[in-house]
Amino acid sequence: MTTLAVRDLTVEYVTGGYRMRPLEDLAFSAEDGQLVVLLGPSGCGKTTLLSCLAGLLTPTAGSIRVDDVEVTGLRGAPRSDYRRNTVGVVFQAFNLIPSLTALGNVMVPLRLAGNGRSAARERARELLEQVDLTDRADHRPGQLSGGQQQRVAIARALAQDPPLVIADEPTAHLDSLQVEGILRLIRDIASAGRLVVVATHDHRITQLADQVVELVRHRAEPPAEPVTVHLDAGELVFGQGDRSDLVYVVRAGGVRIFRERADGTEEHLTDIGVGGYFGELGPLLDLPRSASARATAPTELVGLGAQQFRARFHRS
Amino acid sequence: MVTITLADLRYRYRQFLIAVIGAGVVLAMAILLSGLADGFRSEIHRTVGAVGADRWVLSQQSNGRITAVATFDQAAVAQVASAPGVTRANGVVFLPQEVFHVGARLVTVNVMGVEPGGLGVPAVRKGVTLTGPGQVVVDSRAGIGRGAAVRLGGTDLRVVGTVTDRTLAAGIPMAYMTLSDAQSTLFGGRQIVTAVVTKGSPQSAPAGLEVLTSREVERQTLETLASGVSSIRNSRTLMWVVAAIIIAALIYVSALQRVRDFAVLKALGSSSLLLFGSLCLQSVIITLLAAALGTGMSTFMTGIFSQPVTVPTSAYTTLPIVAVAVGLIASLVALRRATGADPAAAFAG
Repeated sequence: MTTLAVRDLTVEYVTGGYRMRPLEDLAFSAEDGQLVVLLGPSGCGKTTLLSCLAGLLTPTAGSIRVDDVEVTGLRGAPRSDYRRNTVGVVFQAFNLIPSLTALGNVMVPLRLAGNGRSAARERARELLEQVDLTDRADHRPGQLSGGQQQRVAIARALAQDPPLVIADEPTAHLDSLQVEGILRLIRDIASAGRLVVVATHDHRITQLADQVVELVRHRAEPPAEPVTVHLDAGELVFGQGDRSDLVYVVRAGGVRIFRERADGTEEHLTDIGVGGYFGELGPLLDLPRSASARATAPTELVGLGAQQFRARFHRS
Repeated sequence: MVTITLADLRYRYRQFLIAVIGAGVVLAMAILLSGLADGFRSEIHRTVGAVGADRWVLSQQSNGRITAVATFDQAAVAQVASAPGVTRANGVVFLPQEVFHVGARLVTVNVMGVEPGGLGVPAVRKGVTLTGPGQVVVDSRAGIGRGAAVRLGGTDLRVVGTVTDRTLAAGIPMAYMTLSDAQSTLFGGRQIVTAVVTKGSPQSAPAGLEVLTSREVERQTLETLASGVSSIRNSRTLMWVVAAIIIAALIYVSALQRVRDFAVLKALGSSSLLLFGSLCLQSVIITLLAAALGTGMSTFMTGIFSQPVTVPTSAYTTLPIVAVAVGLIASLVALRRATGADPAAAFAG
C-alpha cells in the first residue's frame, strides 16, 4: 500500500536576480492505486513539484512523505536509492538515451540498481511486452515514433517496479492517436501497489484521474461594483507573486511599482499618479503579480475586476 | 555504464573516427620523432661498431668525436701497434660531408679512408670488398650503383660494392676508400690520419692522443647532435600534447552533447563518479585506438624521412601507458560537465 502526503510545500529560487516562488504552501495526499493529475498552465510549478517528488529538487520548506519515507530529508546514497527503487519518472521529452536501443534504455535503471545483464535483459523484455513494443526492442529512439518512445519511457519508469510513478506532460509531444494509447497505459499502471502522479495542462487526462490537484487557485469572484481602497504612505497594495484579482486606478495620492531583487533590494520600475492604472496584466491573463505596488503617500485607489476594467478602458 | 559508453561510441562513431584519425596521425608523428631521435644514436652505433675496433686512438683535440677532423702523423699507427696489449692497429681518416660528383649529380657523403685488409674495411652487401686504389664502397642511401664512376676532388673512383645502414650525421651515407686515396685526395698526399683503430687495448697513447672505447666514441660523437636530438624529443612531447588536445576537445564536445543524457542518468540513480568513469573510459578507448592507428601508420611513414628512423621498442611498449594517461587527462576537461549535470534538468522539455 503506497501513500503520498505533501504538506505545506514551498519552493523558492532565484532567477535573473529575482526571487521566484513557483510553489507555496501546497498540500495534498493520495492513496495506493490512484492516478493523481496535477493540473495547471505552464509556469504554475507542476514540473517543480515533480522534481521534488522524484527526489531531484529539495524544497525550501514543507514535507513530502512516500509511505514512511520523508523524501525532502534524503541526501546522498539514500536519495540515490530512492530515485532508483521508489520512484519511476516519465519525462516530458521522453529523454531516452539516443545511443541505446529500446531494450537498452529499459535496462539502464535495472543495471544501475545492480541487476545482472541477463536478468536486466529478461526484465526489460517483459516490460517492453507490457507496453506492446516487443517487436521494436532493438530499435533506437530515433527509429521510433513519439508514442513508441513514450512507451519505452514508461517501461523504463516501471523497471524497478516502483511504488510511485511520476509523469511530466506525457501527452505533450504526441498526436491524438498516440495520446489515446498512452493515456490507457498510464491508467493501467495506476493499480494496487502503485501510485501514479501526472503533471499536465491537458484537461482530457482529468477524466481518467482519481484525484485532480489544481496548482492554480481559482480566482475569487470579482466584485460586482468597483471597490475603493485607502492606503497610508508606505503601505503595500500587493506583493510580487501574489494572486492577481483587481486592476487599480489611482484616485488620489500615488503608487510606486517595483520588483524585489533576490538580495533584498528593490528595483524601481515606475510611479503611477492620479488617473493612472496598474496591475492589469495579472487579472487579464490569470498570472501572479510580476511586481509589487506600494503607496507613496496617503492614497485612494479604485479596484476593478478584469471585465470592469476592460469595459471602462478599452471599449472606447 | 560500460554498455552505454560503448553504445555512445558506436552511435557517434563518425566524430570519434575523426578524432582517432587526427590523434592517430599525431601519435604516428610522435613515434617517428622517437625514431628520428634514436636514429642519430643508432646510426653512429652501427657505423662505429662496423669498424670492429676494440679501441680508438684519437687526437685529444677531437674530444672523442670521429666527426672532428683532428689529424695526426701516421707514424703514430706503428707506435700504437707496438704498444703492449695491441694485436692489430690500422690508421683511418674520417672526413664528413665531402661531395662526390656522379656525372652531373652531386652526392654528399662521409668519407672514411681505410687500409685494405685492415680494420674498418666494410663488409659489402653487394659487389666486392675494397682491395686497392681507385675503388670505393658506398652506402646504398647514396643512390650510386655498382660500377658507377665517381669523382672526389681530382680523383676518379669506381664503386665496387655497396653497404647498407652505414650513415652518420642524420643519414649522410658513408663512402669507404683506401687510406692512401683519401690521403692523396683530401690531404694532398700527406701521411696523416684522424684515428688509429685497434684490436686489443693499448695501455697508453702517444703524446697528444687518447684511447677511447667504441662506446665512448659513439657517446662523444652523438654529443655534437645533442641539441638537434633534444629539439626532436621536445617536438615529440609537443605531439603528445597535441594528441591530448584533440582528444580532450572531442571528449568535451561529446560531454556537451550528452548533458541531457547525464541529467537523465542521474535522475535514474547514476552517480557523478560513474558518469565521469564513463567519460574516462570513452577517452581511453579513443586514445588507445589512436595509438594503435599511430603505430600502424608510423611503420609506413618511415620512408618519408631521408635520415634513419629507428623506433625504439620502448616507444611502442610505453605508448599504451602514455595513451591511457593522455586519455585520462583529456577526460578531465569534461569532468565538470559530467559531475555538474543537474538531474532536475531531465525534466526540461
